[in-house]
Amino acid sequence: MLAILVRIWNNYKEYIILSIILIIALVLVSFSQSKEVKTVKTTAFGTFAYLTSAVTKLYEPFQTSFEVQKLREENARLMLQVNQLREHGIQNEELKSLINYRDSSNYPLVPARIVSKYVSSTQGNFIINAGSDDNVKIGMPVINNKGLIGIVFLTEKNFSIVRTLNNRELKFAVKNQRSRFDGIIEWNGTELIIRNVPKTYDMEIGDIVITSDFSTKFPPNIPVGEILGGTRDKTGIFNNITVKPLVDFTKVEHVFIVQIIPSVQKKGLELNLLK
Amino acid sequence: MRSEYFYALLIFIPLAIIQLTVLPFIRFNQVVPDLILILLVYYSIRMGQIHGTILGALFGLLFDIISGGIIGSMMFSKALSGFFAGYFSNENKMDQYLSSYMFLLIVFLIGTIDSIVYSFFTTSELNTNLFSLVFNQGIIPGFYTAILALPMMIFAPKKMAT
Repeated sequence: MLAILVRIWNNYKEYIILSIILIIALVLVSFSQSKEVKTVKTTAFGTFAYLTSAVTKLYEPFQTSFEVQKLREENARLMLQVNQLREHGIQNEELKSLINYRDSSNYPLVPARIVSKYVSSTQGNFIINAGSDDNVKIGMPVINNKGLIGIVFLTEKNFSIVRTLNNRELKFAVKNQRSRFDGIIEWNGTELIIRNVPKTYDMEIGDIVITSDFSTKFPPNIPVGEILGGTRDKTGIFNNITVKPLVDFTKVEHVFIVQIIPSVQKKGLELNLLK
Repeated sequence: MRSEYFYALLIFIPLAIIQLTVLPFIRFNQVVPDLILILLVYYSIRMGQIHGTILGALFGLLFDIISGGIIGSMMFSKALSGFFAGYFSNENKMDQYLSSYMFLLIVFLIGTIDSIVYSFFTTSELNTNLFSLVFNQGIIPGFYTAILALPMMIFAPKKMAT
């Protein structure tokens, strides 16, 4: 018996080792979201981020001065305010001024620099140099002066991983700023898509898409992208709308973390309703 | 052999830093050349199939951890890549494979397989047609990685191959 096993091992050891490794990889994938794996991941990426941060500083063409940093922060804040004003304008036009809007322009912003970018067709991630010491928490939205970049996915003391819009795992509710129609946006590997939009919905090329009030991940009214076009799905009943992100993910270097976790607030309200 | 692993992992660290910090600037349509794969192909040819598979798994796992990706996904694709690259490990032809255009061809081939496996693993888009998947998610990244391997092949000291 042992001789047979030894012979099998000698003849097929490459395949046996490969199979064992692939099984381990699959097991790890299935446990990818578990607390233990996340802890290991957080510690490892935090340590490595110090290295990437040092390298990023080396080739950063201009050292961002404090003043420029302040201006960027102000710019991002103004972007939110402008968008809020646009929202109010549309609301006024529709004679819905009685609706009590939340003011999203006063969210505290934490500035951060991107220290590394993991670009792949499906898993866009940034590592930024702000972490739990800066009161950054998992689930906080990340923006710049153009619009939404992503969401904080993991935090360590001084660094965090941001899941960008170019990540298949990130799906959230958006609405057309002009026509007010809602949908769920996601990255399909090559572009941002709002799937299964009924053909009757008013969606035009150039319309701005913003985060929806229905989103449990993001506060409302953050600009996301611009409608590029649409294609009919296989059933012919729905359209798939293509959206171009307002943020150029290749060039972005500095971001702001909006210190709010909408889902927590919404969950709190839902719990209040149950009382 | 232990020292080979040690050096491979030592080289992996700066390459991973470059992969995460510099290479995103030269991306083309969400495609970034894969430096780690070039290193893996190099060591798989030198060390053989079994060590290539193990090294691929180590590289993949480490990169999954430090990049914030799904743990195990790159481990899976890189282990397979190391395994396939190991088929080109031949003591008599090692020189030829490592310091000629054959190296680019191997990098292209393994890069294509690696990208396809990785995209199958991470994409739930099942209605994409097969040709588009193979071309966009396999051949283009493989080709781009092979281009990046070109200067490495030219400037790599010949002695390293032996």
